[in-house]
Amino acid sequence: MVKETPFSRNFNALHLFLTGGIIIPAYLFQTNLSVRVAQVLLFAALSVVAGKRIKWTYFIIMVLSITFFNLVTPLGQVLVTVGPFTITSGALGNGLMKGFTIVGLVFISLFSIRPDLKLPGRLGGMIGRVFYYFERVIEGKKKVQARRLIASMDEILMELYAPGTTQEAVASESRRTTAAGYVAGALLVLGNWALLLV
Amino acid sequence: MGALCLFFSTIEYLFPKPFPFFRLGLANLPILVMLPVVRPGYILLLVLLKVLGQGLINGTLASYVFLFSAAGSFSSAAVMLASQRIFGRHISLIGVSIFGAIASNAVQLFLSVTFIFGKTAWVIAPLFFTLGVVSGVAVGVFAQRFYDRSRWMSGIREYYG
Repeated sequence: MVKETPFSRNFNALHLFLTGGIIIPAYLFQTNLSVRVAQVLLFAALSVVAGKRIKWTYFIIMVLSITFFNLVTPLGQVLVTVGPFTITSGALGNGLMKGFTIVGLVFISLFSIRPDLKLPGRLGGMIGRVFYYFERVIEGKKKVQARRLIASMDEILMELYAPGTTQEAVASESRRTTAAGYVAGALLVLGNWALLLV
Repeated sequence: MGALCLFFSTIEYLFPKPFPFFRLGLANLPILVMLPVVRPGYILLLVLLKVLGQGLINGTLASYVFLFSAAGSFSSAAVMLASQRIFGRHISLIGVSIFGAIASNAVQLFLSVTFIFGKTAWVIAPLFFTLGVVSGVAVGVFAQRFYDRSRWMSGIREYYG
């Protein structure tokens, strides 16, 4: 289930989640737009290292559309006037800041959250079971045929869980954080908090 | 069924999207087919497992994407449960699916206008709702077929019935 990446090899899922959690306030307190853009690029790179597929077009459109809707309300010095549309420095700055903030939070989430992160209590146990069956459904994915979609799905489902049968017990392994993981985590946290001094 | 929700959300990536923010909502299919079969509490638990599972697999659990997904999914489930209760046998899964899609889109649009884009974003509402209805019909048609024709579903209905 968990992809083999430098993150999965060196970080326990909970430790990685906490690393992301500690970075978030430092990221949100940042008021310098250039630094924030640099942070977003760093988090995007970390997401790629963590094995996540990033849809760049989605995120670019996200930043552009948020900025565009912010420009509708003029604020501060006029930069450019295009027909009836006026681009002001305050609105542009606010729009870009908001757009990058939102996208950056998604990237933090992408690199710091892994499927093997254990949620506490009964709910955590249920999620573990959902992942177990999900893996087995995915294994049978090749058998899904577009021409006989319902029949082929039936075959997979009957094989996995025939109605009325007992569900299988689920066991899962937990990975440990290595020394390199602790160092990288500490550097990430300290680096992002130190950027508040810039 | 929770695993099936995740399976369908991965299948959804195979379909081309006309717009970057558009989602077909295939992950709601297992919720839709279980609506007439199980108690409301089970449906809400299934929704919770779906949104948490998606958040963990996609890594979006600590972002606005998760909040939008959770708000949209729970509001959609609540409206689908209500329409199922109100109209009973007079409504097909296609109708229920359309109600659910509209509820989910309304909540997500409200959240994006309030927290992300600002009031001017209401201009995209007609397009957003039109796409929502189209996806609601598509998912509803498939759900109804699966409900009527699947041997596995028939076994589930007997088991819970």
